[in-house]
Amino acid sequence: MKNTAGRLKRATGAPASGIAADLNPSERSSESALAEPAAQSGISLSGVSKAYPVNGEMIPVLKNINLDIKQGEFISLVGPSGCGKTTTLRIIADLISPSSGTVLIGGQTPRQARLKRRYGMVFQSAVLYDWRTVIKNVMLPLEIMKLPKQEQQQRAEAMLDMVGLKNYAAHYPGQLSGGMQQRVGIARALALKPDILLMDEPFSALDEFTREKLHEDLLQIWQKTHKTIVFVTHNIAEAVYLSDRVCVMSPHPGRISNIIEIGLPRPRNPQAKTSATFSAYVNLVRSSFEGV
Amino acid sequence: MKQQPKSKIQSKPGFASLTQAKWPVTLVWLIGLILIWELAAFEVAQTKRTPENVLPHLYQIIAAAFSGKKVTNNLTATQVVLINAASTLLRAGQGFVIGVAFGYLLALLMSLSKIVEKIAFPYLMLIQMIPILGMAPIVLSITGDINRSRIVIAAILTFYPIAANCLAGFKAVEPQKHELMYSYGANKFQLYTKTMIPATWPYFFTGLKISAPLAITASILVDTLQGGGGLGSMLSQSLKHAMSVYVFWLIIFFVAFIGMFSFYLMGVLEAWLCPYRKWEKGGNEA
Repeated sequence: MKNTAGRLKRATGAPASGIAADLNPSERSSESALAEPAAQSGISLSGVSKAYPVNGEMIPVLKNINLDIKQGEFISLVGPSGCGKTTTLRIIADLISPSSGTVLIGGQTPRQARLKRRYGMVFQSAVLYDWRTVIKNVMLPLEIMKLPKQEQQQRAEAMLDMVGLKNYAAHYPGQLSGGMQQRVGIARALALKPDILLMDEPFSALDEFTREKLHEDLLQIWQKTHKTIVFVTHNIAEAVYLSDRVCVMSPHPGRISNIIEIGLPRPRNPQAKTSATFSAYVNLVRSSFEGV
Repeated sequence: MKQQPKSKIQSKPGFASLTQAKWPVTLVWLIGLILIWELAAFEVAQTKRTPENVLPHLYQIIAAAFSGKKVTNNLTATQVVLINAASTLLRAGQGFVIGVAFGYLLALLMSLSKIVEKIAFPYLMLIQMIPILGMAPIVLSITGDINRSRIVIAAILTFYPIAANCLAGFKAVEPQKHELMYSYGANKFQLYTKTMIPATWPYFFTGLKISAPLAITASILVDTLQGGGGLGSMLSQSLKHAMSVYVFWLIIFFVAFIGMFSFYLMGVLEAWLCPYRKWEKGGNEA
């Protein structure tokens, strides 16, 4: 409860300067959507906590996470190491289960959502299969789904086209650069045609130039497909540039310290990064961390 | 920075291709080996009474290989080597195939079940510790046939490197690959056929490269245990002067060559079956 109160106070009261109007545009209806129940592929976490036993003592890594992610929203979880952002993502992905609290993905449990292949997962490393060609990598989840061969091929080709790697279908991952490999990883996640894309620091291992290119690609894909994207990162500028909302998390124990609505206009372009508003958002996110 | 090596190649094409090609290294290595051998042979020829028993000159060994002189049972030295090599290599090959199959199967079972791993692994280590010469009589009394026991021993020695390497391969699959398969809702069969088993191939081939020469040397060693054909028997017979001592030297050279060739063959097999490995860091070098 204390957490929620702090969050509201910060979200409304903290930016006292001239940018306050930009940060909390009153005409944006999404503000009130915070209180609304999650939509069809929205994600709702309520009272989610996670603790691990260490030497017989339960150490909390995540404490009372309340978060409603709207359908088609691009939300970032940003914070330093140990703030539980990846843990939160993994709970949504049904890779770990929470100690308490409930998670609903369009009304389904994470397990149901996983078995319905409602989300695609992208990791920090591309996690490609060296022994499979690029197109075979994209076809992997479709093989698991036992789709007809024809459809596997067509879908994989379409996804590779979307990430701009149509001409590399027959290459092996070892022949591609890091950025291209990560694109294959994204194409593979999209091949499932999921409602939700869960991305765990997908660009943090890439160089600045490649990362910026992939930001544009990801925004384009998002605009084309209207997926709900949950994006974990420790890069504040990246989170601000990409997201509708930035969820700032703090460690010991992992908790949400602020949720910031990003009022930058869409579609975004790299020039936005030089604007005063952009830096104001970055500063607001930075000042939202607690205990670091 | 980018242009410098280019101009170097243009000005000295011979030198550049020489440093990039593999054969000059092999050539230098071969010349070095011949030099050391011949120096030692000259020294032995000066000081020992029967130098051909200790270290003959290379030309003497080559001459023996092509000589038509019958050394035993109306056979030339080369014929003796090749006929016996056939039976030894056949046993080594049979043992190798059996050992590889069982080794991989055990690694698979150990990967599937922690209990199997806990039970089987100490025995694996134990088998590895028992000297072949100690194991051979036991195996012989179990199988009751010297040729069968020779195959079994070759299999036992092949088995361990394959099982240990492939188990390491199963364990080396990144947790993210497991998570990815989990997120796709893959079942255990799909997890193994699509992810785990293909991921072990590089480890499998490393195991093959270790155990292929091992199967051959083991096969030769157990040849000596009892009479009958085989390179091992010929080795001990030729040392006892039952036939020309050059048979001994020919066998040594032949075995060294076959051992290296078996290693090379596994590398070729790997390059053919795993073409993707040439783009990996350190691939095809294991």
